[in-house]
Amino acid sequence: MADERPAVKIRIEDLAVRYSDGTESLHGITLDIYAHQVNVLFGPSGGGKSTLLRTLNRLNDLADVASQQGRVLLDGEDILAADYDIIQLRRRLGIVFARPVPLPMSVYENITYGLTLAGIKDREQLDSAVERALLQAALWDEVADRLTESAYALSGGQQQRLCLARSLALQPEVIMLDEPTSGLDPISTFKVEQTLQQLKKDYTILIVPHSVQQAARIADWAAFFLQGELVEWGSGHELFTAPQDTRTEQYITGRFG
Amino acid sequence: MSRQLAQRVAFGLMTLAAAVVILPIFYVIGYIVVEGMGAVSWGFIAEMPRDGMRAGGVLPAIVGTLLLTAGTAIVAVPIGIGGAIYLSEYAKDNARTRAIRVAIINLAGIPSVVFGLFGLGLFVIFLNFGTSILAGSLTLGIMTLPVIISTAEEALRAVPQSFRLVSTSLGGTRWQTIRRVVLPQALPGIITGVILGIERAAGETAPILFTAAAFFLPRLPSSIFDQTMALPYHLYVISTQVPGMPIRIQYGTALVLLVFVLSMNLVATLMRRHYRQKRVW
Ligand SMILES: Nc1ncnc2c1ncn2[C@@H]1O[C@H](COP(=O)(O)OP(=O)(O)OP(=O)(O)O)[C@@H](O)[C@H]1O
Ligand SMILES: [Mg+2]
Repeated sequence: MADERPAVKIRIEDLAVRYSDGTESLHGITLDIYAHQVNVLFGPSGGGKSTLLRTLNRLNDLADVASQQGRVLLDGEDILAADYDIIQLRRRLGIVFARPVPLPMSVYENITYGLTLAGIKDREQLDSAVERALLQAALWDEVADRLTESAYALSGGQQQRLCLARSLALQPEVIMLDEPTSGLDPISTFKVEQTLQQLKKDYTILIVPHSVQQAARIADWAAFFLQGELVEWGSGHELFTAPQDTRTEQYITGRFG
Repeated sequence: MSRQLAQRVAFGLMTLAAAVVILPIFYVIGYIVVEGMGAVSWGFIAEMPRDGMRAGGVLPAIVGTLLLTAGTAIVAVPIGIGGAIYLSEYAKDNARTRAIRVAIINLAGIPSVVFGLFGLGLFVIFLNFGTSILAGSLTLGIMTLPVIISTAEEALRAVPQSFRLVSTSLGGTRWQTIRRVVLPQALPGIITGVILGIERAAGETAPILFTAAAFFLPRLPSSIFDQTMALPYHLYVISTQVPGMPIRIQYGTALVLLVFVLSMNLVATLMRRHYRQKRVW
């Protein structure tokens, strides 16, 4: 059973990231992200999960990163290479943050933002992208007649799904979600989790859940991070029922963290 | 008991301090309005000065101040906003950036008459623009730059970092992010700063004294290489240089200048309030 592994979408090899204030936030990370699966990164605060996500789409280029070693292969190509097309990379790897950040514009403009940056102006194309993205993010029914309203008029849960739709509009290959439900009520959380199960047909999902329970609920594959180290990773089922490392076991049974 | 007393004394002192600031402003404005009202009429605004400026209107001074104000804006706004965008969005925190900041702070501290002399040396004489609207606008523009750069930079920095992060994560280049998100959000703050900076320039005498201002010019300027009359300088001239000047013309001129400057201030204030209310972050 362990050998029936899906195709690798992203291969991370011996990755180390150090911020310029001296914190080494990741070291020796070797991990595969599988295509069309829900890949979960979990562990206590400060483990380096967000750092890893921001490294994968090079968003950390904006942060104070002092050094970055190792390789990150997206479909076999090293995205950390100096001449890699970062703009294209970010369109291929969408990200949704913990706190929804709608841009200060209408719902419609939020969703088409990435597309218009890419130079797409055709109204019909944009319209259909908006509908498709909103349907995929399970938000269409709620906002279909509110597209011209400010995105800030939506509820928190709707805003979060709007941010998801905004990423989906670019038709990325990978969707990364950093604690996307941490500010949401149980019903909105349930909706987002359900949406993810739908999405993995079309996308590779890489998610940092906001709790161990959520991790266990949604993970096809799970990786446990502790203070910059990848303690262990494997199929979600195995990791949550029979962890190999005592630190993993202690964490998932709630004895620390 | 003594704590209550201290409280009361402190409160009293602060009220007094506020009064010391506010009352003179109202007094000055009130006084000029009352004294100048009688002189101001349609003719005062729309006519040429006559009789050695002792009669007639102040039209050329109004036109001159409008032209100088527009010229100042044309010089200072693009450079100022460009500089602010550079400092807030592009510049790394290194020795060169710090040097630029120090230079801006120092520029803001230079007395306006020194700008006037600088303008005389560089624009009027060296670049041979002569005493002209062009030279005056350039001088006023440079004087206004630090105000515009500082307020615009502040407005740009106030835009939440998370917007930049989101825009970048959606495949935005730095410039796309600035143009589509950061700049529109900072614009109200930037425009307020621009108006306040230019308003100050509009009321200045010293920088245009040697670079643009004419004592008396019985016609309107016809090119940017012309000299011009201007309200603040005209006020100085009729208050000190012309014997037998009717006092109501002096106050009338002061009132026109005051209305011009204060209405710019009012526009800036209203705009700031309007956009504060509309802001979502
Ligand atoms: N921009 C930054 N500059 C400096 N240090 C940072 C930066 N971002 C994160 N760190 C540090 O890197 C370490 C890992 O942080 P990271 O946010 O990746 O952890 P995390 O696993 O996502 O934690 P959480 O569950 O709290 O979100 C922490 O020690 C943090 O202080
Ligand atoms: Mg995090």
